[in-house]
Amino acid sequence: MRPTSSRLFLLVSYYFFMKKLIRHIAIVLLITSCNNDDSELVSYSNPEVSLNIPSDFPELNSSFYTNIPTEFGVELGKKLFTDVRLSTDNTISCSSCHIQESAFADHNPKGIGIEGRIGLRNAPPVQNMAFMQFYNWDGNKLQLEDQPLVPIITHEEMDSSILEVIGKLETDPSYIELFNKAFEGEGITADGIYNSIAQYEYTLISANSKYDKVKRNEGETFTTSEAQGYAVFQDKCISCHSTELFTDQSFRNIGFPINPDPEEGGRTRITGLVEDYMRFRVPSLRNIEFTAPYGSFGQFATLEDVLNYLDTGVLEADNLDPILKDNNNRIPLSTQEKTDLIAFMKTLSDAEFLGFND
Amino acid sequence: MKNLKKYILSAAVLVAFMSCSSDDDNRVANNVTLEFSNTFNSTPIVLGAATSAEATVNTSDAGQVHHFSELKYVVSNIRLIKADGTEIPYNVNNLDTGATVVNQAKPETLSYVLSDIPVGDYTEIKFGLGVRSDLNTLDQVSFPTFYDNAGSNDTEMHWEWGTGYRFTKIEGFYDTDNKELSFHSGSTLEGDEENYTQGVDAYRDITLSLPATATVGNSAPTIAINADFDYLLSGNSHTVTLVSTEDITNNATPSAHTATEMMKFVENIGGNGTTDVTGMFSITSVEN
Repeated sequence: MRPTSSRLFLLVSYYFFMKKLIRHIAIVLLITSCNNDDSELVSYSNPEVSLNIPSDFPELNSSFYTNIPTEFGVELGKKLFTDVRLSTDNTISCSSCHIQESAFADHNPKGIGIEGRIGLRNAPPVQNMAFMQFYNWDGNKLQLEDQPLVPIITHEEMDSSILEVIGKLETDPSYIELFNKAFEGEGITADGIYNSIAQYEYTLISANSKYDKVKRNEGETFTTSEAQGYAVFQDKCISCHSTELFTDQSFRNIGFPINPDPEEGGRTRITGLVEDYMRFRVPSLRNIEFTAPYGSFGQFATLEDVLNYLDTGVLEADNLDPILKDNNNRIPLSTQEKTDLIAFMKTLSDAEFLGFND
Repeated sequence: MKNLKKYILSAAVLVAFMSCSSDDDNRVANNVTLEFSNTFNSTPIVLGAATSAEATVNTSDAGQVHHFSELKYVVSNIRLIKADGTEIPYNVNNLDTGATVVNQAKPETLSYVLSDIPVGDYTEIKFGLGVRSDLNTLDQVSFPTFYDNAGSNDTEMHWEWGTGYRFTKIEGFYDTDNKELSFHSGSTLEGDEENYTQGVDAYRDITLSLPATATVGNSAPTIAINADFDYLLSGNSHTVTLVSTEDITNNATPSAHTATEMMKFVENIGGNGTTDVTGMFSITSVEN
């Protein structure tokens, strides 16, 4: 039996109708999915953060220019910095050892991680990182973005892994949104974690101490003791603690008591060079009043202890810094000089940076 | 009837034979198995605690007895070279599928199967002791399998502070009073890939000629590789005397991490990278 023409017409029109319908649905789907993508990609503006870069500070680390802090990048980095989910048992955050009131260091001789595990060295302050060319006591990292993974995976610190961290963050919608805002809709990524934490740390600039205000003629003046301390500092300390960071960022063995941990080799652990044995990066003196104890593993409880040690005499070593070697392994200091030096060092405290004004 | 049986039998044989030969004709690749044996000279290493009676004891050129309680190393960047010089890289840019941790305590790790090696006659093998610097970043996102294997509690081949892998991890004891010996190696290079500005490269590229051709085709060859850990203290580059003092300039403090002496051990077992490209490794046999 042949189909009647009307039946054939119905069939054909049904066919075309369906075809049209499918095409329309497809187009609608396409547009919808496009819209979704677009909304993630373009609906957030994420301006760069304006930072007050002191004109007399050393030059910025070149990595800063490829990871310039943005509004949401810094917000995300700060949130991650204080999030205990970066540790495997959700007990420790970056800010557990890097406490603002201590210039983002802490008061333990050596870093303490999860389950009370004790690390190798003293937690360094996180300040003025944008102007540093080497990070950590031995300068093993040259870019701040390479650093956050280290505490995340280190057994004595957070003992986690980047996929474990990402897995936890993915269960938190506020993170998904913040990552998308900070990094153009890329979602939660390892690089997003590293870059945002570095961006936040780049913003931690301390340049508003009494010393800075005196130098900028903002109405503050040194006391007599501070002024005398500054003179002693320029005479006996400035060859290492130079620049406005109060460190020349060099590595030196100054004969401090040696860390008994067999892991410790100082900078030689990085370079393999004998001359770098027990050399450490000269620490900044900014906010030094609030970063006790002192030394690579917190050998000294107070600044007085450090100065007394330098005055009495340091350990002999083949590669002892020439400044000490040429002076009978010591930096002679009178009691008055020590008092004045400490008074001067306290002028490097930045109450605003430390959060004391909040 | 007898003839018919014969015909059927010969037909069956023929079919079987034909199917065999048709397989052979289509075969483009087969496995190559690397069998690692770890020795002191020619004696297989048995691991043991400080006072173990079973542990294999070796005596160095400097006269120091020593034995190991732990022995691990990373092999990666494996390449097989054909007689005509063609180099066949084996997943050299993928640590998940192209790298392994040889662990003397785990017999299953002493054998590593390279799959889908193209048919051909191979006369040389190259591999890396350690991880090439461009891949040595503890990148768990890119290579989760190798990351997890290397980092597991019974392997411990992560060098966290350097965000790289440990290339070798040897623990043991030396001298008659069984003082602790600990040797870890790894790279500490930092900076751009093309322009490293600090650190040491502990990766070593090993090149070994095969004593017999490894024929990949019908056969799936096994290449037996020997690692002679007598070289650790008594190698081609250095004769090492272990010392337990803080004297870092006179031979080796057997501490894992001070690194002043690390490269001596690296050169002894992995070669100096120029005139010595075999280090402690040799090929014992090739079986096709």
